[in-house]
Parts: sequence; C-alpha cells; structure tokens
Amino acid sequence: MTERAMAAAQEDWGALSDLPGHPMMWVLILTEVVTFGLLFVTFAVTGAIHPDVFAAGQAQLDPDLGGLNTLVLITSGWLAALAVDARTTGRRGTTRMLLAGSATLGCIFVIIKFAEYAAKASAGIGLETDTFFTLYFLLTGFHLLHVVLGIVILAAVGLYDSLENLKTGTAFWHMVDLVWVVMYPLIYLVG
Amino acid sequence: MNLTAVGQVTRAWGFLVLLTLLNLAAGHSGLSGLAANGLILVAAYAKGRWMLMEFLKLRNVPNGWQILFLCWLSLVTFVSWAAAAIPLLRG
Repeated sequence: MTERAMAAAQEDWGALSDLPGHPMMWVLILTEVVTFGLLFVTFAVTGAIHPDVFAAGQAQLDPDLGGLNTLVLITSGWLAALAVDARTTGRRGTTRMLLAGSATLGCIFVIIKFAEYAAKASAGIGLETDTFFTLYFLLTGFHLLHVVLGIVILAAVGLYDSLENLKTGTAFWHMVDLVWVVMYPLIYLVG
Repeated sequence: MNLTAVGQVTRAWGFLVLLTLLNLAAGHSGLSGLAANGLILVAAYAKGRWMLMEFLKLRNVPNGWQILFLCWLSLVTFVSWAAAAIPLLRG
C-alpha cells in the first residue's frame, strides 16, 4: 500500500464520515447517548417500582428552575449553531462573539444548577436521602460534568476556530442540550 | 451569513422556547395522569427532533443516522411515559 493510500485508509471512518465535525467526536456522542439512555431507563423503571418515593422527591424540586435552565441551554445551542453558520461565511469575529455568548449561557446553567443543589443541601437533602435523590444527583451531576466539559470545548474551538473544529465542538454541545431536553421532563415533570 | 440557514436555526429556537414554555405551563396547571405525561413527553420528543435536525444538522446526513437518533429519542420518551403509566394504571 502506498503512503497516500495508507493515509486515505486512516481517514476513512465509513458512515461516520457523513456526520458534521470529526468522526471521533461522534463516537463519543454515540457512547454518551447510549449511557444517558440507560440512565433514563433506570430512572423511569425505578420510579415505576417506587412511585410514592419518586412523587415525594419530585414535589421537592423546583420545575421553574429546571425550565429556566432549559431555556438557557436551548438559547446557548442556538448561538452555537449560529456561530457555525457565521464561520461558514468567514465572519470570524461574529463567530467568536456567538461562541462566547453560548459559553456564557453554559456558565449560567452551571450557576443555576449549583443554586438548586445548595437549596437542596440547606433543606437537608443529599445523595443518600432516598432512591429518588440518589438518581437525581447522579443524573443531573453527570450531565453537569458534560456541561462544564462542553464550555471548555466551546472555549477551545473559539481559539482554534477552523470550520471543522467548530462543527466538532458544537456537535458535543448540542448533544449536551439534547440530553437535558429529555432529562428535564423526566425528572421534574412526569409523574 | 447564509440567511436561509440562520432563518431555519432561529425558527427552530423559537419552537423550542415555545415548547419549553408549554411544558412549564403544563407543570403549573396541576395536570397529571397519562394524557398530561404524554403531552409533556411529546413536547420533549419534538424539541429533541428539532435539535437533531436543525442544530446538529442531521437533516443533511443520510437517513440511517436520522433514524438511529430518532429511535433513541422515541425509546427514551416512550419508556419514560410507560414507566410513569404503570403506577397510575394500578391506581
């Protein structure tokens, strides 16, 4: 095999090459959606087994804060999507401003989430309070780690702002949005 | 900037905000039961679909990828609804 053919083979990601951004990011995204999917099913099935515990736990959550965080993440995702469109037409300054706005909204999500955790802690609610709150902190905490990682990735692609990097970084951020859009009604509203 | 692409993304954002407000209103109305859960989760499915198609740009990729992600979305929202329905049906 020639050197050129070997390089081409190394770049061939099969069907993953059809997706926007680097294929390796999509391997991560697929892994994450499977993991979160299993966590959602675990939460839902446990809720069916312990409906009273889950109803009591859900009553202590603030759906308005969860809804506010949904609006924050949706708007952040919108700015990230606009950043990719801006970069497509070569407007690097606009791209960076949009990414900064997106990352700032991500930080606001983190602040609201910590305020929610602090309110729970002051009410004496923790990881070991009951099954509902064990899963609540596990799911939302795991998602929060992804939000923080997403903010770091948005900052990185703001610095190294090739179109490919932007598509790769924002794909991760949209996955984080997508997971929250399912997680919010499951934890805060459905019961 | 490509106005068509921007317009599509902005329209999707508008729908996502609207559906989130609908979810919040459903939560405040005190509605509960199978139908209310169904409404909330259909809204979640619709939001997820818009995100996949307009934000993640899956609209422009082969159908197999769209089907894969929409199956995941359908599965998690349906299991959420079905699991919540079990205790309600038991009374």
